Amino acid sequence: MSNSYNKPVLPKADSKKVSIVVDGADVEVPEGTNLVEALKTIGIDTPHFCYHQDLPVAGNCRQCMVETDGPRGMGLAIACYTPVRPGMKVATDRSSEKVKTARKAVMEFLLANHPLDCPICDKAGECTLQDNYMSSGKHESRMREEIGKQYKGAPEHRHLDAKGQDRGGKHIDLGPTVILDQERCILCDRCTRFMRDVAGDEQLYIAARGDHAFITTFPGQPLQHDYDLNVTDICPVGALTGKHFRFQQRVWLLSKTETIAPDDSLGANITVEHHDGHVWRIMPRRHPDVNKSWISNATRLLYQTLSENRLTGGSFRGADVPLADAVERARELVHGARKVALVASGHLTLEDNAALLALAESLGSRAEVFGGSWLAVGAPDGIARSGDPVANRLGCTLLGISDNLSDLVRRAKEFDCLVVAGHDLWAADAERAKSLSVIPERIALSAWHDATAQASTLAVGIRAWAEVRGSMINVQGRIQRLQAAPTAPTPDLEPAWQVISRLGHLGWTSEVDAFRFAQGRIPALSGLNYRTIGSQGRILEGVAP
Amino acid sequence: MARVVPRPEMTLAEKAYIPEILRGMRVTWSHFLKGFNEPETLPVQSYPEVQWEIDRNYRAKHRLMKRPDGEPRCVACFMCSTACPARCIHIEATESDDPRIEKKPAKFDIDLLVCVFCGLCAEACPVDAIRMDTKVIALAADTRGKFVATKEQLLDWNPADYPASDTQSQKAPGGLLNAEARARWAQGDAT
Ligand code: SF4
Ligand code: SF4
Ligand code: SF4
Ligand code: FES
Repeated sequence: MSNSYNKPVLPKADSKKVSIVVDGADVEVPEGTNLVEALKTIGIDTPHFCYHQDLPVAGNCRQCMVETDGPRGMGLAIACYTPVRPGMKVATDRSSEKVKTARKAVMEFLLANHPLDCPICDKAGECTLQDNYMSSGKHESRMREEIGKQYKGAPEHRHLDAKGQDRGGKHIDLGPTVILDQERCILCDRCTRFMRDVAGDEQLYIAARGDHAFITTFPGQPLQHDYDLNVTDICPVGALTGKHFRFQQRVWLLSKTETIAPDDSLGANITVEHHDGHVWRIMPRRHPDVNKSWISNATRLLYQTLSENRLTGGSFRGADVPLADAVERARELVHGARKVALVASGHLTLEDNAALLALAESLGSRAEVFGGSWLAVGAPDGIARSGDPVANRLGCTLLGISDNLSDLVRRAKEFDCLVVAGHDLWAADAERAKSLSVIPERIALSAWHDATAQASTLAVGIRAWAEVRGSMINVQGRIQRLQAAPTAPTPDLEPAWQVISRLGHLGWTSEVDAFRFAQGRIPALSGLNYRTIGSQGRILEGVAP
Repeated sequence: MARVVPRPEMTLAEKAYIPEILRGMRVTWSHFLKGFNEPETLPVQSYPEVQWEIDRNYRAKHRLMKRPDGEPRCVACFMCSTACPARCIHIEATESDDPRIEKKPAKFDIDLLVCVFCGLCAEACPVDAIRMDTKVIALAADTRGKFVATKEQLLDWNPADYPASDTQSQKAPGGLLNAEARARWAQGDAT
């Protein structure tokens, strides 16, 4: 079992190096870390189940065996919990038969009663058990066919406890989000460690002993937590599956687009996984300094909104109009107006907001830019959310957009045209938004048929966050990249910056033009481009509040 | 590496061309005349009134196999659609009502216009749920949409059309072995 104090020490870019001997060769590895990490830095992957970079080390699966030198010569040890010691000798499966045999034996035990479920198992294709069987198992089964496997789906294995809770079988409803298949569980205890040490709410535990041990929740209690779907990611096998993705797609069919979560100013790193123009799931992408390996359930389920209630064209005074006509009409309205209020949005990228500023510039004194949000700001939860739902708030501030929506409400009568870009003002605070209705022409650029699009006289569809390329600056002052998944409901939809560029005749042809404009406004961005921002983002010097 | 293919040696009569042509025409004419005198001996068939007997192994239109209770055998594993080089199999999976079975197809469409009849789907299926032994090779419809075989159409076949030796087909409802298989199925034997 694990303790919360033995979190693994991970190598850092500036870790001190020590030299050790691996398979007879002298190598330099980071000091203080464990052998799994140390060997990884020199390109040797150690198969493992229970070890996870962001969980305390448990050392219970015994798959990561290597040989190390001790007082009695070379002997087997688990790589995940053996710290690097200067000068130590290590033998991996590349040089040691003993290591190979040990790993193979572990594999054989794990598979003794493991079902042949791969074709119907949602983990197949990303299953550690499959991977490790290929890398270190590949044994012939020695199980006697007439005895067969212990089939935990059988009725006799199912039992209800005193509180009527299902404690066995292949289809255990653990709570609102997760289903457990006990037969596939290898008892690595990652899920229980996650709930205890990361979620901080010990809802899962291992009951009984030995061959009878099983994962379960406390009697009568469900597994229910804002982060509980993370257990389905870290479960190395298909034992824990999320109800939202169960049976939806086979994982090998999915293409991955690396982007960031748009619903929180921490900007959790995620991958959007899509197939055939449809997003099937969102998975966390590890970032050691942002969200580790975790995302909240809310972020994970965001993909469901990408295909719901989308604004795929335009609408003018309640009637649907083609997108191009809507853009054309918006341009006429903006240029024909006496005084235009432009509302920027921290839900949109830097590029989109830069376009809005450029539009204001082109309109001169006829336009005024407003910013801010009416959404409530919560407290950070210490896992993967900062509590601020406005993802790019800092980016807007740095662009020089002030938090002055209340000014707009007060002075609404001065304007005869309002442009709201990617900001659902009417849903955030319908009461205050109502006073904006005195502005005769209200244009909403929105990806959804949301309250603001409905309250506007002209709504123009734009792409949603998963379909655009751009950048946002998170609460830590880190600029992070959004990438576009090819999943826009119709190919005609354009990102907000492009629509705005059309409104202002800016002539921008790619988000790079918009980024250059933003660089002109934010000195800290100078010298950066999408490639140098990279998949892990960049801390901007001196911008964090 | 280049290889020299020697030209066949020809006799003078062959080189003269005309005699060889006449020799070929003799075959044509003999069949032509036989057609007047004794047409029933001709080595041709009056297609399409008379159809050629197709082998069971011929890769024809697909069918989905059935369990003794008539439910599809398919467990919606997507192996066939993954193997399909033409990407013409579209499956949607759902939870099965039978507690012994994990999932089943809610939708199973094969676009027969896109299908290249390679047989890889039948090869890939881990549970012998999809076969291409219907002998249906001539497909005709008046819209593209009608060439999409749905789950219901693929399940619509009659055990009587399959030989008694095909035990899997005979276990389906209406088959010779159905009663026995059904009884065992109800008791939990899933084979
Ligand atoms: S967990 Fe699923 S995919 Fe992995 S080996 Fe088991 S049945 Fe196969
Ligand atoms: S359910 Fe998954 S994560 Fe939890 S102990 Fe079993 S295999 Fe490990
Ligand atoms: S391979 Fe067989 S079981 Fe799997 S989806 Fe295709 S027909 Fe169904
Ligand atoms: S990974 Fe080392 S014991 Fe499990």
